[in-house]
Amino acid sequence: MFERFTKKKQRFTEEADVVVIGTGGAGLVAALAAAEGGAKVVLLEKSQLVGGTTAVSGGVVWVPQNHHMAEVGVADSREDALGYLRIIADGRTEDALLERYVDEAPKMARWLEDKTPLRFTALGHYPDYHPEHPGGKPGGRSMETGLFQTAELGDWAKALRRSPIFGATPMTVTEATEWGVFSKPLSLPYGELAKRYKAGFVCYGASLVGNLLAGCLARGVEPRLGVAASSLIQDETGRVIGVEATAGGGQITIGAKGGVILATGGFEWNSELRTRFLGGQLTHPNSPPISDGDGLRMAMAVGADLGNMSEAWWCPSVVVPGEDYDGVQLNRGDFAIRSLPHSIIVNAAGQRFVNEAHNYNDMMKPFFHFDPVAYARPNLPAWLVIDQAFVERYLLVTSVPGMAPPSWIPKADTLAELAAAVGIDAGGLAATVQRFNGFAAEGVDRDFRRGESVYDHFYGDPDHTPNPNLGTIEKGPFYALEVHPGAIGTKGGPMTTRDAEVRGADGQVIAGLYAAGNVMAGITGPGYPGAGATIGTAMTWGWLAGRHAAAHKAG
Amino acid sequence: MPEVTYTTVMNLPVATIWDFVKDMNHWAPMLTGYQGHEVQSDTDSVWTLKGDVGILSRTVKLAVHITEWVDAEKVSFTLTGLNEVVEGGGTFTMAQAAAGAAAGAPVPAVTQPKPGLWRRFLNWFFRAMFKRKFGTVERAALTAPAAGGVSSHLTFTLRMDAGGPTAPLVNAMLEPALLPAAEDLGNKIAAHLEAAQAGSGA
Repeated sequence: MFERFTKKKQRFTEEADVVVIGTGGAGLVAALAAAEGGAKVVLLEKSQLVGGTTAVSGGVVWVPQNHHMAEVGVADSREDALGYLRIIADGRTEDALLERYVDEAPKMARWLEDKTPLRFTALGHYPDYHPEHPGGKPGGRSMETGLFQTAELGDWAKALRRSPIFGATPMTVTEATEWGVFSKPLSLPYGELAKRYKAGFVCYGASLVGNLLAGCLARGVEPRLGVAASSLIQDETGRVIGVEATAGGGQITIGAKGGVILATGGFEWNSELRTRFLGGQLTHPNSPPISDGDGLRMAMAVGADLGNMSEAWWCPSVVVPGEDYDGVQLNRGDFAIRSLPHSIIVNAAGQRFVNEAHNYNDMMKPFFHFDPVAYARPNLPAWLVIDQAFVERYLLVTSVPGMAPPSWIPKADTLAELAAAVGIDAGGLAATVQRFNGFAAEGVDRDFRRGESVYDHFYGDPDHTPNPNLGTIEKGPFYALEVHPGAIGTKGGPMTTRDAEVRGADGQVIAGLYAAGNVMAGITGPGYPGAGATIGTAMTWGWLAGRHAAAHKAG
Repeated sequence: MPEVTYTTVMNLPVATIWDFVKDMNHWAPMLTGYQGHEVQSDTDSVWTLKGDVGILSRTVKLAVHITEWVDAEKVSFTLTGLNEVVEGGGTFTMAQAAAGAAAGAPVPAVTQPKPGLWRRFLNWFFRAMFKRKFGTVERAALTAPAAGGVSSHLTFTLRMDAGGPTAPLVNAMLEPALLPAAEDLGNKIAAHLEAAQAGSGA
C-alpha cells in the first residue's frame, strides 16, 4: 500500500508545483503561502468538509511577540518567549526550532492579516497555560479571529466544517469570557445567538478556517474534497515528487515539483498507532475521526525520522450517550466543569490526584500514573463529583441552571449512595470531601494547589469567594460524571527542519517532503504553552513549508 | 414554537389511510431517526429518535400521549422530552379530497410516475403557486386520480419547543430539522400505501 516509487520517468495524472494534503490550519496556510509564492497548488482533503481539527477547535492562535499584544497592554520579548518555551518543551526540542517559532510566528500572523480577511485580536486576559513560570504571560499571546459570515464563501460555505459544540453558538472568545459562558450561563443572550446562527455566522475554529479558506479561494486554490492521499512518490534520488491518491473510487497521481506538504493531522483515531506509540491510554479523542495517521504512515514509508511520538494534546473528556459527530460517538473536552467550585475529580479509591483546574494537557498526565506494586493505573477510571450547588449555578455539559441535569449522569441523595452506584470507595470519598471542604472554606488547596494560578481562575467563577475554583461539596443530591482520557490530537510524527522539511532516519533531509501541524513531531514536546499553541505552531510550520516548497518549485 | 405542516394527497380512500395510521406500529419505523418505541397503553408510548440538533446528532427519548382520537379523521398527541428539555405535539388529519381537487394537488413526489411535458409544466406551476413559507409547506406535484378513483389528504402537523433559558438557540437548531422530518414521514406513508395498493392490483 505504501509502495515506494523510484521510476525515472513518472507519469502523473496531473502536475502541480506544490501538493498540500489536509485542510486544517496547517494545510490552508501552507496552500496560501505556496500560492502567494507563485506555485500552482493542489490542495487535497480526504473528507467532504474543509477545516480538519482546526475547524472544531477554539480557533485561538498562540503567537508570542505578536503585534497585537501592545493593544492589550502586555509586553513580550524574544528572551521571555524562548525561556518559557524551553521550560514547556522540557528539553525535548532543539533550540533552533524554538527560536524559529518565536521569530517566525509573529511574521506569519502579520502576513495572514495582510493576505487574507483574517483580523486577529489579542486576548489580554487569556493566560498562558503556565503563566507563573519564567517568561509566562497573563494574557496577550493568544489571539482570536472573531465571527465569520459563511456567506462570504458562497457555495463553499456548505463545505466548512463546524464544531459540534461551538458550531451553533456564534460568540467570540472575548464575548464568551465577558459573559461567563461556563460560570454564568444564564447571562448569555440566547436570542441574539440564535439570530447569528440563523444568519450564518460561525465562530472559533470555523471562523479561522473560513477566513483562511476565503484567502485560498481568492487565489484560485480550491480544496479537492474526497481525495485521500495514500502514498508518496519518489524519484531515483529519493526526492518526493508527487503523491498517489484515491478519488471517486479510482487512483490518481499528482506530481509536485516543489514538494508535498503533509498537513494531515494526528493519529488519535488509529487504535493500532495509539497502542504502539502513545504513553497514555487515549480512549476518547476529541477531534473528527479523520485523524487516523495516514500522513504519519506515508512519512514512515519514505524513511522519516520520528519524534515526540508518545505525546498528545491531552484533554479530559466526557461522553453524552448517543451523541454523534461525523458518525462516531462525540467525546466532549471538559474545559470548565472541573475548574468551577463545588467539583472534584476522584479515582475509585475516592481520592483526588490532581489539580482539577490545571490546563487540560498537563492535568491529564496523573490519570496515567502507574502503580508498580499493584501493576495498575489507580487513577483510571475517574469521576467528576459535583453537588447540587454546582447544578444550581453552572453549565453542566448540556444543561444550564433552571434545567434538570442530564438524566444519564448518575445521581444520589448522599455521597455514600453515589459512591456505591458508580463504584467508588465510599469511605475514601467521604474523607476526601471532608478534607476538600476544609480547603474550600479556607480558599487554599493544600494538596494540589487548585485555584492558585491565574490560569485556574480564568475558568473559575470570579464571583465565588474566597477562591474562584474552590467550593464545598455538601448539598445533595450529588452527581458523578466519568472523565475519560481524551486528546484534541496527537503531536508525534516526522522530525522537521527550520523550514518544515522532513528529516530522514539517516539525519538527511528528505527532499520535497514537508510536514506541518499535528502530523509532525510537535516542537512543544510534552507541553502546552498556551491557548492556540496547537494552531499557532501548525500555521507557522505550514507557512514555512509553503514558502520553501514554492521557492523550490523548479525542483 | 417551531411548527410545520405537511400535506400529501394519495389516490386512496380515507379508510385505507386510517387503517394504516391508527396503528403507530405501522409507521413508527418511518420516522426520521427512528430507533425504537415502546407502547405503554392505548394512549401512551415512549419513542426513541436520533436526530440532528445543530451540527451533532443526539438521541432523544420522547413520551407521546394521545389527546384526541376521531376515527378516520384525526389523531392528536403531545410530546414530552424525557432526556431533553423539549415539548411539543402534533396531529394527523385525513379527509377525502374535494372533487376535482386532485389534479395539481399536493402529493408526494416519490409516488409519481415520470411526468410528461405537460405534467412537468404543471408541476413547476403548482410548486410556484404553493409558496413555501415558514412553518408550512405544501409540495405541489402532479397526479391525477385513477379514473373513477378517490383521493384523500393526509396532513401531518408537528411542533417542538425547547424549554429553559437556552430555548431560542435550541429552537433555531431544531427548526430546520422539523420540516424535512414531516415531509419524510408523509412521503413514506404515501409511498407505502400506494405501493401496497398497486401491488394488490386495486
